[in-house]
Amino acid sequence: MEEEEALAEFDFLVSEQGGDDGRTDGDGSEWTKHTDWPLDKQKLSMQIEQYKKERIRKHDNAQRPRKTDLQAMIATLGAEEDDVADTEDRGDSPKASNEMMMRFPPGSSMERHLDSSALGLGDLADITVSNDETDSLTLSFDLNAADNNARKTWNAKYTLRSHFDGVRALVFHPVEPVLLTASEDHTMKLWNLQKTVPTKKATALDVEPVYTFRAHQGPVLCVAMSATGEECYSGGMDSTIRCWNLPSSNIDPYDSYDSSILQDTLVAHTDAVWGIAIHSTRVQLLSCSADSTVRLWTPGQQKLALNNTFLPPTEGDGVPTCIDFLANDSNRMMVAYSSGNCYVFDLSTGQHVVKFDSPAPDTNPRINKILSHPTLPVAISAHEDRSIKFYDTTNGELMHSMVAHLDAVTSLAIDPNGLYLLSGSHDNSIRLWSMESKTCVQEITSHRKKLDESVFDVAFHPSKPYIASAGADGVAKVLV
Amino acid sequence: MTDVEAHHDQLQEPIRRNRPGTKSSEWCNWPPQSFEEMDSTVLVQQYIQQLIKTETFNIDLILEPPEGQDEGVWKYEHLRQFCMELNGLAVRLQEECNPETCTQMTATEQWIFLCAAHKTPKECPAIDYTRHTLDGAACLLNSSKYFPSRNSIKESSVQKLGSVCRRVYRIFSHAYFHHRPIFDEFENETALCKRFSTYVLKYGLMSNDNLIVPILEDLGESEA
Repeated sequence: MEEEEALAEFDFLVSEQGGDDGRTDGDGSEWTKHTDWPLDKQKLSMQIEQYKKERIRKHDNAQRPRKTDLQAMIATLGAEEDDVADTEDRGDSPKASNEMMMRFPPGSSMERHLDSSALGLGDLADITVSNDETDSLTLSFDLNAADNNARKTWNAKYTLRSHFDGVRALVFHPVEPVLLTASEDHTMKLWNLQKTVPTKKATALDVEPVYTFRAHQGPVLCVAMSATGEECYSGGMDSTIRCWNLPSSNIDPYDSYDSSILQDTLVAHTDAVWGIAIHSTRVQLLSCSADSTVRLWTPGQQKLALNNTFLPPTEGDGVPTCIDFLANDSNRMMVAYSSGNCYVFDLSTGQHVVKFDSPAPDTNPRINKILSHPTLPVAISAHEDRSIKFYDTTNGELMHSMVAHLDAVTSLAIDPNGLYLLSGSHDNSIRLWSMESKTCVQEITSHRKKLDESVFDVAFHPSKPYIASAGADGVAKVLV
Repeated sequence: MTDVEAHHDQLQEPIRRNRPGTKSSEWCNWPPQSFEEMDSTVLVQQYIQQLIKTETFNIDLILEPPEGQDEGVWKYEHLRQFCMELNGLAVRLQEECNPETCTQMTATEQWIFLCAAHKTPKECPAIDYTRHTLDGAACLLNSSKYFPSRNSIKESSVQKLGSVCRRVYRIFSHAYFHHRPIFDEFENETALCKRFSTYVLKYGLMSNDNLIVPILEDLGESEA
C-alpha cells in the first residue's frame, strides 16, 4: 500500500501533459491531502535560479504546473518508502572502500530532475513558493536515510514481445510511459505501457507495439530520443543513422503508412553505427562506428549536418565502442575504444583533453558502455571483464573498480538523480547498485541467452518509476 | 563430437558475441556449431540462422530439421525467420510502392487481397497491407497466448501458421508482379521467395496453386 502511494507520486507528470487520454488515477487530487510536504524555500529558489540559467527549452508547454505538483516533485526526491522488502544483497558484490565514497552536492539531483522533465518548466520560475506550513521544515537530502529506507524493490511487470530477434537497445520517452526498442530484426518498435493486452497472469502484462519503424537494412544497433520526445535517432549495421519523428503513442498500429515519419538519413559512416548520444539541451548528435570514427552532427540547413569527425588519438586505440556527452561540461564528450582506452574530447577543438587510466593488461578491458553521471564529473564504464569502473573525468583517475557481474557487463543506466546505477550483463541478470555505497541492492534475472549473449541494454525512465531491460532473447521487459 | 568436455572448456570454445564496435563484415563471424552443441532456449533459431548465413542458397539444407526436432517448433521458427527477413523487402518496397500507384494489394488481375489486420478486413494500399501483415504476424507469432513457449507448440497454434503464410506470401507476389526490379534484387541476395515457396510446400502450409510467383519452375522441371 505504501509502495503504491509512493508510485502514484509520479503520476502528476502524466496528468499535467494534457492530451493524454484515459489517465485519471493518481491525478492531482492525491496531492491536496499532502500539503505538509517538507520543503526548503531557500533551496528551492536557488534551484529555480539555477534552472533559469540552464534553461534551453525547444518548445514551451503552455500549461502551468500547479504548486502542489511542484511540491510533489520536490517531495518525490526526498521521499522515503517504508517498504524496504527483501532486497537482495549479494555476497559477491564488493563494498566500496571509504575513500571511494562519492560526495553528492546537496541539491545536485534536483537540477537534473527539473531539467529532464518536459513539463511546462518554462513557467517554473514564475511560481512563488509561499507555503507557510513548510517554512519550519527542511528538505531532506540525507542520503543515508535514502539508502536505508527509500530502497525500492523492482518487479517485472510488462513484457514487450514482438521482435523476431535480439533487442539491442531501448530508450524511454522523457515523460510518457512510452519506450522505443531497436532490434536485430531490422525494426524499431514504439510501445505504450498503457496499451496492454490481457494475459493469464495477473501480475504480468503483455504490451503490443503501437508503431514499427522500418528503414534500416539489417540490424538496428542503437537508439536515442530527443529531450522533447519529438524525435528519435537510430544507428544500424547498414552504416546509416536515421532521424525519425516520433509518432503519437496513441497512434493506431494499423494506420496508413506515413513516409514523413522518417525525417532524414545521415550518411557518412562507412561501417556499423554502434552508438548514438544526444545532447540534453542542444540539438547535437554524436555517433560512433566500426569505421573507427566518431562524428558530431549539428543543425545545418533544416537538417542535421556533419560537423566534425574524431579519429582515435593513437594507433592502438582500436575502434570506438561507445560514447557519451559529459553531463557537467556540455562542450565535452567521452569515447571508449575496443582496446579499453578511453578519452575525453573537447568538441570545439576536436582534441582529446583527458585520457583515462589504462586498464590492467591481463584482462579483456574492452568497454561495452560508458556513461556520464548526471551531475558529477564522473564516468561509469561497463567492461567485458565483468567489472564496472568509475573515473574522474577531470583528470582521468580511476576512482573505483568492482567486479559487478558473473559475465561481461554490457549496459549501464543511471537514475535521473544519480543515486542508483543499473547494469546489465551476459550473465542474464540486471543489477541495481547504490551509487553511494557501491553495493548491489537488487539482482533480477531478466533474459535468456542466445549464443553467448543475453542482456543488451538497460534504461531508467527519466521521470517515472520504470526501469527496463532488452535482451538477445528478443524480449524487452519493464519493471516497476 | 565425441569430446564432450572440450566444448565446455571456455578457453577453447570461442565466445560468440557481436560486441559493440564489431564491423559488419565480422557480424556473427565465428565457427559454426553443431545442433547438439547449442544449448540456449532459442537454439532452433540459432541453428536456422547459422545455416542461412553459411549456406544462403542451399534451401534444402536450410529446411532440413535436425534429427528428432519437433516439427511444430521447426515450422514456427522458420516462419519467424521469414517474417523477419521480409522486413528487408518491405524496406525496399517503401521506397517505391506508394498508395497512389498501388492503391490495392494485388498480384495478378485475379484477386484483390483484403487486409486482415483490421476488425473488418479492408482494401488497404499495398504498402499498408505489407506493413500491417508483417506487424500482425509479429504480434501473433510472439503472442504469449498462442505461442507461450518456443520449445513446444500446441497443435491448435501450429494450425495458425498456414494463414500467416498465405498472407505474407502476397508480399512476395505483389513485389514480383508490380516491382520486379526490387523483387529480383532482393531474391538474388536472399533467395527468400524460393526458400519460402519450398517451405510451404514441404510442410503443406499452402497449396501449389496459390504459389503464383514462378520461382520454383526450375525445381519442378528438374524433379519431373
